[in-house]
Amino acid sequence: MGQGKPGWRVAAATLVLVAVAGFGGVARAGTDPQTPANTLIDGTTDTVTNIDPSGNYNYGTDTVDREIFQHLLGYKPGSTVPSPVLATGCKADATVTEWTCTLRQGVTFQNGDKFTSTDVAFSFERLIKIHDPSGIWSLLSNLKSVTTKGPYSVTFHLKQPQSTWEYILTTIAGYIVDHRVYPADRLLPDSSTQIGTGPYRLVKYAPGQDAVFKAWKGFWGTQPKVPNLIITYFSKSSTMKLALQRGEIDMAFRDFTPTEYASLAKTKDLRVLKGPGVAIRYLVFNVTRPPANSLAVRQAIAYLMPRETIANRIYHGNVTPLYSMVPAGMPGHIDAFTTVYGKTPSVAKAKAVLEKANVKTPVAITLWWTPTHYGEASAEEYTEIERALDASGLFQVTLKSAEWATYAKTLGAQYDAFQLGWFPDYPDAEDYLVPFYGTKSDFLSNGYSNPKMDAILGHEKAATSTGERMKYVREAETLAAEDVPIIPYWQGAMIAVARPDVHGIQGTLDPTFIMRFWLLSKS
Amino acid sequence: MPGAGISLKSYLLARVALVVPTVLILLTLVFVLMRVAPGNPVSAALGGHVPPAVIKQIARQLGYDRPLYVQYGVYLWHIVHGNFGITITDRRHVTRIIAVNGAATLELTVAAMLVALVVGIPGGLLTGRFRDRPIDAVGRLFGIVLYATPVFVLGLLAQIVFGSVLHWLPISGQASPLTEATLQAHTNILVIDAIIDRNWPALRDVLRHLVLPAATLGLVFAGVFLRLVRVNVIRTLKDDYIEAARARGVRERAVVYRHAFRNALVPVVTVIGLEIALLLSGAVLTETTFNWPGIGHELYIYLENRDYAAVQGIVIAFGLVVVFASLLIDFVNAFIDPRVRYQ
Repeated sequence: MGQGKPGWRVAAATLVLVAVAGFGGVARAGTDPQTPANTLIDGTTDTVTNIDPSGNYNYGTDTVDREIFQHLLGYKPGSTVPSPVLATGCKADATVTEWTCTLRQGVTFQNGDKFTSTDVAFSFERLIKIHDPSGIWSLLSNLKSVTTKGPYSVTFHLKQPQSTWEYILTTIAGYIVDHRVYPADRLLPDSSTQIGTGPYRLVKYAPGQDAVFKAWKGFWGTQPKVPNLIITYFSKSSTMKLALQRGEIDMAFRDFTPTEYASLAKTKDLRVLKGPGVAIRYLVFNVTRPPANSLAVRQAIAYLMPRETIANRIYHGNVTPLYSMVPAGMPGHIDAFTTVYGKTPSVAKAKAVLEKANVKTPVAITLWWTPTHYGEASAEEYTEIERALDASGLFQVTLKSAEWATYAKTLGAQYDAFQLGWFPDYPDAEDYLVPFYGTKSDFLSNGYSNPKMDAILGHEKAATSTGERMKYVREAETLAAEDVPIIPYWQGAMIAVARPDVHGIQGTLDPTFIMRFWLLSKS
Repeated sequence: MPGAGISLKSYLLARVALVVPTVLILLTLVFVLMRVAPGNPVSAALGGHVPPAVIKQIARQLGYDRPLYVQYGVYLWHIVHGNFGITITDRRHVTRIIAVNGAATLELTVAAMLVALVVGIPGGLLTGRFRDRPIDAVGRLFGIVLYATPVFVLGLLAQIVFGSVLHWLPISGQASPLTEATLQAHTNILVIDAIIDRNWPALRDVLRHLVLPAATLGLVFAGVFLRLVRVNVIRTLKDDYIEAARARGVRERAVVYRHAFRNALVPVVTVIGLEIALLLSGAVLTETTFNWPGIGHELYIYLENRDYAAVQGIVIAFGLVVVFASLLIDFVNAFIDPRVRYQ
């Protein structure tokens, strides 16, 4: 047998070397990427449904809409009082059933069309007419009609007095669209060009991937500090965390797990920024079925709720204990549950209230929670509540869970006590009271009905001054704590994580929960 | 020899004819599965968000209140006309999702298959040729470890090592946000789009993003090909015609690479067809791990949102791809397998 020619071996070795060098070359072509100073890239795990404002009722879509569209009224950073945007002012008549807004002149849409009262009337009527299941039309249930008087005046005619109507104008229901572009009876597809009066134009949208915005030169207000904005969507927070650590994105807003926040806080070159939040978590009782139909049982659980442990141990301080359905920082908030039940758990007081009512202990109760809607920490949260109640010797808790689709349909219809969370439509105390305590609201299906509470809420809606309204808000909070059909236990913070070259985030972290990208800058 | 085997033409016609019942069974299974679950796709997707009366109204509009046999007929009619439905949560046409996001999955799976073949076939050849030597032991171990490791574990490890520790490669997305924002979408296969635009920085960026997910998915299947080729090489090297070639003085290198190897590759072609189905399911996990905007990633999102109308459409698309890919592989096999004779 002769010597084999080494030619093929040399060729193979060369090929391997070239492949490795090529891989290395492609790999090392950049180390950590640097995004340019004129572009801000935000990562989020939020999702987008329909960009057309008439078809959206979720936070992720609202974030996109907020760059493109505007409201008649909005919020200045740090304030929860509606202030002029497309309207220079809105006033109610003496009956609080007619609100007249004067519109800002000289505003144009991003296609050059002039903004007038016709667009305002059209936008509200269209939302009601389309009645999209993914839309927020329910917020306009009190709207009877919209009339215009000239190009710069519009009047909202309400069915019932509503002192908080100007807050409704700041919600997703209040976005103004161009009546020449948007169909009156159906949604504009996401693939069509969206036209608003906002500071950014949406130049490209790839569902589930990214939304690309460019500052609009014709914007009537202050130009955004960063001319290019990209929102990148992640399906998993762990991937988003790696992307942030690598510098592929400049910041991330919504949402990491508590453990991930804790890890990011220790990461060099990243800042975890926190501000007051408005999301709350609470435990609801069906007050028509045993054992929660007993006021003493509900009060005993209120005495035992381990708020501090949940906030510190499970959420690593990213939430704060909550002692009223109206979150702290919101006008009208009082720590009603502290007044009635104290700040810290008390086994003695829980025992006393049960003994006084001749309730036999331990009380068997089933607590329901859902693993697929409120984050991974829900399991630990309810384990902690179970532990606290069982450890008192007064309760025997059974925990049960159901996947969200089933859970959401069932709630008070079958569950005796269950977990829920709330994110407001508008940052006002009313939005934390009416949906939960009004007899006509069937949001919870928990059977709570108190004519005294209905009367208070009715007065609150018809109040003609803020002072008067806040008086009724406080009365409602106190009665809510005494009746205790619901126990609020934590309030979330507004948290963003950013690289050090992103500025202005802290100024936009406030109870309105609006990430004002147009105010952020990069160095 | 009269009656020996079937003609190539008959074989191909029979395979094409089998596609019809296969597709029908697939469509029927998916239809039944979607309707066996309690409630309907509308209540699953929108339950808890809208009042029950609205859910009922939408279900009526979408025909979920009609008799099952009517729903089945309408469903088949739509599929035949290329209408895979509209998602409930975000109103997108499933056909459009398949076209746009399917292109991203195609990019990933083609690259992954290349990795699998480039690593697996030479690896199998070497380990089979040098059986029971150190290179064989290493190769077999490599193949088993790759095949046994869940693809998302491999992906996470790759992200941590090459992304976070070494800072060599990006760990998510089909391209950087800037490239995605500026690159024109001609085909939605970004490698091709970058070449069409002659945008070489974008091409480099896209290739860099492709490396980790393609390598992750490809290496898992490389293990399969490695072991398969090894077994076939070993078996083929024992055949009589190989012994005869050696006896005639043919050099060992020629015996292995010109005679044994070619015959050992024939079953690999068949396995490629079977692996396509596994590649697609692996793509779901890979795309989710790497935030790769393919159809598997969309399937995950819609499953999370309980949008069963979307899930139904995407699963049907997956199934049809597997059916037709298998048909194509059978065609290729028929041409290269010398046991199929012309009469």
